[in-house]
Amino acid sequence: MTVIVNPEGAISPEAAPAGTTRATLRRNFWRGVWRVLRRKPSRMAGVVIVALFAVMGLAGPLLYPAQLPRDDNALYAPPSLAHPFGTDFEGTDVLALVVTGARYVLLTGLATAVITVALGTLIGLVAGFHRGRWDTLLMRLTDMNLAIPGLPLLLVLSTVWKFESPLEMGLVLGVLGWGGIARAVRSQTLSLRERGFIEAARGLGLPTRHIIGRELLPSMAPYIAMNMLIAVTGAVYAQVGLFFLGVLPFESNNWGVMLNLAVFNGGALTTPAALPYLLAPLIAILLLTLGIVLIVDAMDEIFNPRLREE
Amino acid sequence: MITGTGITKIFKQRGGVLGAREVPALRGVDFAIAKGGAVSFIGESGSGKTTLGRIVAGLETHDAGEIVIDGVPMSTLSHRRRQPYFRRIQLIHQDPYSALNPTRTIHQTLEAPLRLRARQTGRPRSWVDGRAAELLAMVGIDPGYVLPRYPHQLSGGMRQRVVIARALTMDPEVLVADEAVSMIDVSLRLGILALLKDLRERLGVGVLFITHDIATARYIGDDGELYVLYRGQVVERGATEKIIADPVHPYTQSLLSAIPVLHGLERPGAERVVPREMQREGEPDGGCLFARRCPFSTERCENEMPVLGRDGGPGQETEQEYACFHPKRRSVIPVGVGE
Amino acid sequence: MTAHTAARDMAARDMEAPGVAIRDLTVVYKTPAGELPAVRGVDLTLAPGTITGVVGESGSGKSTLALSLLNAVQPPGRIAAGSVEIDGLGDVLTLRGEDLRRARGRQVGYVFQAAQNSLNPLKTIGKQLLDLGRSHDVEDLRGLVRDAKDLLARMGMDGARVLDSYQHELSGGMRQRVGIMLALVLNAKVVVLDEPTTALDMITQATILRIIREVHEERALTTLVITHDVGAVAEVADSLAVMYGGRVVEHGPVTEVLGDAWHPYTQGLIRAIPRLSGDLSLARALPGRPPTLGTLPKQGCVFRERCERRMEVCETDEPMSVNRDGRTVACHATDRHLTLVKRKEFV
Repeated sequence: MTVIVNPEGAISPEAAPAGTTRATLRRNFWRGVWRVLRRKPSRMAGVVIVALFAVMGLAGPLLYPAQLPRDDNALYAPPSLAHPFGTDFEGTDVLALVVTGARYVLLTGLATAVITVALGTLIGLVAGFHRGRWDTLLMRLTDMNLAIPGLPLLLVLSTVWKFESPLEMGLVLGVLGWGGIARAVRSQTLSLRERGFIEAARGLGLPTRHIIGRELLPSMAPYIAMNMLIAVTGAVYAQVGLFFLGVLPFESNNWGVMLNLAVFNGGALTTPAALPYLLAPLIAILLLTLGIVLIVDAMDEIFNPRLREE
Repeated sequence: MITGTGITKIFKQRGGVLGAREVPALRGVDFAIAKGGAVSFIGESGSGKTTLGRIVAGLETHDAGEIVIDGVPMSTLSHRRRQPYFRRIQLIHQDPYSALNPTRTIHQTLEAPLRLRARQTGRPRSWVDGRAAELLAMVGIDPGYVLPRYPHQLSGGMRQRVVIARALTMDPEVLVADEAVSMIDVSLRLGILALLKDLRERLGVGVLFITHDIATARYIGDDGELYVLYRGQVVERGATEKIIADPVHPYTQSLLSAIPVLHGLERPGAERVVPREMQREGEPDGGCLFARRCPFSTERCENEMPVLGRDGGPGQETEQEYACFHPKRRSVIPVGVGE
Repeated sequence: MTAHTAARDMAARDMEAPGVAIRDLTVVYKTPAGELPAVRGVDLTLAPGTITGVVGESGSGKSTLALSLLNAVQPPGRIAAGSVEIDGLGDVLTLRGEDLRRARGRQVGYVFQAAQNSLNPLKTIGKQLLDLGRSHDVEDLRGLVRDAKDLLARMGMDGARVLDSYQHELSGGMRQRVGIMLALVLNAKVVVLDEPTTALDMITQATILRIIREVHEERALTTLVITHDVGAVAEVADSLAVMYGGRVVEHGPVTEVLGDAWHPYTQGLIRAIPRLSGDLSLARALPGRPPTLGTLPKQGCVFRERCERRMEVCETDEPMSVNRDGRTVACHATDRHLTLVKRKEFV
């Protein structure tokens, strides 16, 4: 075997880099992610915030006894060293409530995001790639999904379903919310499938599974990741809102329940005493959203090899 | 061996008061690509050359005519049964920037088709990596340098070589190169052309070369054949060197006359032909398609359509065909100053 | 021809074409690796009334050079040093705000690459023409439309029809002519054409080049054509500047540069052009590949890695531009060669 016709690479100043195995690629990817995140302090701040909430969701309930202690002498106590955000109507520490309530909220958000993105991406990809009959069928389905009025349906559902598990809640929110992503992914697919590399893959006879999973999907990764992160915030708002409205029966402790109790039981909108009780979950939601928004900014660079490196 | 007979393609254009309008992109084109041969389709945009290339590569359907690959007429096969035949005809895209997936390394890009090929031919998986390196070396780039890299880290010329290597994974019989060098830096174009020529000689791969720049067609092999397309019709056909040196059809002459003269190195040809008008969309079809723009057209040209005919008289090594009522050889190409 | 255009043509003939002098121009781009020069220390004089062609490959800095003529380099780019003196206008690089906007269009016309992205797809050509007129405070808009129609007719188009058209209704060649019309309609005397024939068919390209040449002569312009296509420049230009790695490596009358190139890059480039006649075996691609901002050598000659006449001095010293017989070249090897010739003459 000979090297022929003026090899362009011959004068390359860089030495040949190490192997091309999956492991190397993965390692390079995570190094790139780290590089991208370090590029802006805001991104690191976002990572710290989200990591904090993740720890809260994972370990929060372990930090406190199953039954949070009540202090009957300190109902609606103002913020102090012992109770940084005061106490609630039963004298329970508000911070403890926020921390232990995070798990339900975050799990719901995560479940919702995973389901919306998985369903939306799959349906959008298949519709956009196959076009024709599949496209028509799936897009009618999507239109139907988009047309479902979510809140009334949840009201009706809540009469028969208690949503005790956050995963159940996430499932319902997810199944209701994939329509937008499906439409967006479909239009992206339609434009990507005209690109040379997709046509080349088809010309080489590569299976559809490969083309959709290995060629199309990675090109849309930043887009999908952004949608997923934003879907988490959307889901958090949605369920907190539902609990706040008192639509759902609250068996467990979570942020939406806190808001509801603060406003409707504690009169936080009229008396200052319950204000910390109201503000604490609000601040938690705000911080979580902020953290996610700060990370979303990095997605483009993380999934684009060119931007990841420089 | 791949032959096409009477390949016809009609595009339906929307709009207009009368609804859909039919625009013929190809009007009964005949061609043949021998094993290891070099065939060039030359023409301007709208000549149908790209459509023809895509039809040959199996990426587009045609409305009439027959494509025969290795003696098997494609129209007799189901869509599925046709695939293995068309897989042996690979298209090299014009744009090496969009032809490679930006999110995949060159290794990944070559690995997928090679795995498929290994399955098809019953080779072990271990064959794949060695073959990838072998193919890259064959197209003249250093595998160690290129394999772990992403497309954006390579120059346009290198990318086009990778695209060619990827096409070679399927052990193709024919490479369809559609304007394969038009987006490559000038100093590197000849390298790609020389590579195509080399692949013909070493692997016996046929090349179907599609371009608007006749000069590049010379460089994929001096034994090549040239088809000049105008509005979907082959107006002149013959050996590449012969057509360039002795064009007969006024359209071929116009194309050759339009190629810039390197003043200082070359003098313009003595009888350069300039069309009377620019090309317009939606021209009527009666008579010779080039008649309205042709400086030599007569009444006959307006009313009657010439068909591709032979001129294989004595003293000519190869046959030359043209569709013109008033054929005349004219010296239109630039002449070297020193000659 | 109407009386109006006749009068204007008289005026045009009376008015001298302006000269343009680019001096020591350096344009840097901000990258993660610091500020890197896309154009470095370029001296280029456009003689009044001539067409200068600038030829270069990707990364040669030719488009950046063209933008500098309008002081229109966009961030992350920045003009770090130098001057662009246009007769009757002064140093363009010192112009700011309103003055600069006025100069663009009035004094310096710019024709974008194949005029494809520069036209607004949502407005007719006529509407865009009027917008252009209003933004330059043209009082006689009727006169402007008349001039535009004359120009379009001059380029073989039906002016009234074109002005009523949207961009998508025009072919590539027609768009390019519309671009030229828009660059000239305000009577700009310096015209910059960026890749005027890229993506055009051969016959259309030949037509556009002829039109550029004719309009240039009729209106007494000073024209700069930027392209990667040596052939296009050879057809249209009087003088030819060859750029490589942000430097002008050779400049001179087009027939002399093509007929007897001095710089090894110019020689290699000419050898690499596919031609219709001549020996196929003599044609060769240049080895290596064009440099990018990141791969430009920090010192020494920018072309040395691909050069077959590389010497030791090329690694360390950047060659200076040398003037001789109205031509300039920046190359150590050629430099020595020329000096030797000169010595011989003295002996």
